[in-house]
Amino acid sequence: MEVLQFKDLKPTPDIIHAHGVDQHNATIIIDNGSYQCRVGWLNQREPLLIFRNLIAKPRKERTKKDAPESSQTPQLQIGNDITNIEAVRFQLKTQFDRNVVTHFEAQEHLFDYTFTHLGIDTETCVAHPVVITEPFLNPTSSRQLMSELLFECYGVPSLAYGIDGVYAYHFAQSKSEDSGLIVSLGYHTIHIIPIINNKTIFVNTRRINTGGYHVISFLHRILQLKYPAHANAITLSRAEELLHSICAVALDYKEELNRWTDTDYYENNIRKIQLPYTTTTTSTLTLEQQKERKRELAKRLAEINAKKREERLAEDEEKLNSLLAIQEMIEVDEDCDEIDQLLTDHQIKSVDELNKNITALNLRIEKTKEKITASTSNEDVVVDEIPVKQAKISKMVFENEKAMHTYVQNAKKMRQDILNKKTARKQRRQDMAKRRTAAGQERMRIISQLARKEKGNDDFGLRDEDWDIYKTISREGGDSDSEIENEKLLELEEIIRTHEPSEVDETAAPGESHQLHIGIERYRSPELLFKPYMMGSSEAGLTEVIGYVLSLFSPEEQLLLAGNVVLTGGLANLPGLRERIEADLVSIRPFQTYSNVKIIPNPSLAGWYGTRKWARSSEFKRNLITRRQYEEYGSEYFKVHIASNIYVATPKGHNIDICE
Amino acid sequence: MSAELGKAEVRPVFKATTFQHTSKSNNKKRAWKSLKQIISTERSLPWPEDYVHYSSINAPPSFKPSEKFSDLSGLPAPYTDPQTRLRFATKEEYATLIGLPMDITAGYLALRGASSIVG
Repeated sequence: MEVLQFKDLKPTPDIIHAHGVDQHNATIIIDNGSYQCRVGWLNQREPLLIFRNLIAKPRKERTKKDAPESSQTPQLQIGNDITNIEAVRFQLKTQFDRNVVTHFEAQEHLFDYTFTHLGIDTETCVAHPVVITEPFLNPTSSRQLMSELLFECYGVPSLAYGIDGVYAYHFAQSKSEDSGLIVSLGYHTIHIIPIINNKTIFVNTRRINTGGYHVISFLHRILQLKYPAHANAITLSRAEELLHSICAVALDYKEELNRWTDTDYYENNIRKIQLPYTTTTTSTLTLEQQKERKRELAKRLAEINAKKREERLAEDEEKLNSLLAIQEMIEVDEDCDEIDQLLTDHQIKSVDELNKNITALNLRIEKTKEKITASTSNEDVVVDEIPVKQAKISKMVFENEKAMHTYVQNAKKMRQDILNKKTARKQRRQDMAKRRTAAGQERMRIISQLARKEKGNDDFGLRDEDWDIYKTISREGGDSDSEIENEKLLELEEIIRTHEPSEVDETAAPGESHQLHIGIERYRSPELLFKPYMMGSSEAGLTEVIGYVLSLFSPEEQLLLAGNVVLTGGLANLPGLRERIEADLVSIRPFQTYSNVKIIPNPSLAGWYGTRKWARSSEFKRNLITRRQYEEYGSEYFKVHIASNIYVATPKGHNIDICE
Repeated sequence: MSAELGKAEVRPVFKATTFQHTSKSNNKKRAWKSLKQIISTERSLPWPEDYVHYSSINAPPSFKPSEKFSDLSGLPAPYTDPQTRLRFATKEEYATLIGLPMDITAGYLALRGASSIVG
């Protein structure tokens, strides 16, 4: 079975595009999704910028508050500036809360990024009309702030809003039917949007608050829990890569699970993924080299020590000389003041103390000298001692093959004995912890007996063995794994390894311990879309909600909708998703009624393509909100068109403040 | 911000120099409302009868009984371990299950949303 590798693709930082002449007054198309933002010009077929709607705000380093480096600390990283998303995972911010923009400072940063990279350099305004997508039934307060930001901060001349999924339905298909059911699979939400006669039926639309993000984090978590040792190597970005590379939707989940219980099927269908690993470098060094290195280290240490000793010797001698000079001065009895001065310099109070100090120094100098002579002669001896310790278990020489064999067998047997003892102890420990096991009941019996106070003939503790009873009732269950045993075990393993290297040392392929085996997980994580309860959500799954939405219509309309189910959004490309929804539709629809599910072309960019196509239509011009209209009708105002939300003015005197 | 522009604080030329988010102008410290707060205020307004807003299109709760799957393997799980409350499918799984450390079992429960004692 082939082992797959992680690609770990990194985004390349965007260049600042030149602002061409043909873009003069051209419209900017922005598909502002909670996963990615796609931006491009009306007169170009493809979006120019595609980046994650994320900013990474590095925290201020508290330790170097006023250091000059502070000006060089990495600044705010936005969109594709973030080359290594895992490195800044905890500093990531987005303007989105679920699928709605709520954090407008972050949105401002992302607009800065967008317009800068589009190459806009006109002063104090972005002189281009803007079309931007918004979530289905975007709360008015969120749209108000978006208009305010674009009109007042960026000075755009005109603006239009629309819903990405609806744009995609009407304009990204070669031929769009008048009626259909959009299944818009987003990063945080899934929308089931019915369209009847080119009208969005808002009241019957339903939103499932489970999306790609949840599938990714579910996969991430189950893999982390399956491989706790690699929890740090299994990152969200890698889970995302796995979702797109090997995950699929099962046509019949129950049946798929049953297949996996068969070991042959498991062996044939398991995917092995290699995590990056580093081979341990110790094995590349020969024993000789290791010895050499140790010897060098010891030598260097000895040298350092010798140097230190010499320094100390010189220091002491100097001090002694100065003290002797003072003593001499006292004996000659020179100027009293000067002597006092010198004595205080050396922190000596009296003549007695001076004499004491001199003798102490003399002793110390002698000792150091002794040490120096000793170390110079001993140096070689010390160095040679170390390697002897190293080769404790050297390869024994045997008379013949048979003797060696029995020796190794013996060692193995002893090892097995110790291991057996260990497992028995572990079992006992577990039994002890539980009630209703023989061991647990026995323990309780002893405890109650001990607790019973029978004064008079209490001879407990007369014999030393009495105290052992406490060992047996401790939760550890008597004797624990002793150090000696562990050591013995290691020693035995060492013996077996030296004589029969293949036995214990079973690291066959390098990095095999760094492989992820992904089986059912491939189907288990996308299944979350159909069974949100797998992650504790009480909402209905995709099929159930489609059925529910259909049930809100008349039978004739149901036929129209079920006959034209359109999948859009990045997840629509998941292998098997279309077939699954189709199969589920057959099961929930009346017998022998027509149903059809299709995927929109290029589902992850369909929103942008649809928006662009709409902006090229004749409808576009009259659906723009101009700056004058914005000023006259207020920030709430927007124009209703085929792919927009519904407009209802906020009840008077009830403006929603989006800040606390 | 790109390197040529230097610090992030430098305003790009195309931005209005005096712009302040109206709802933020008086106090810089105020935090942005979460979506939950926004929709709860939105819901409390006296809208016309037939108005559809963000929270009115939430998916209905599931009416189907939820199937039980093993926390470890994902296979259909007829059993539950009373100690850890984890679900398991086979006796081999049970053997691995009882050897799991606390943080892993807690992780599985939290993932399934079953970590609260009441539920």
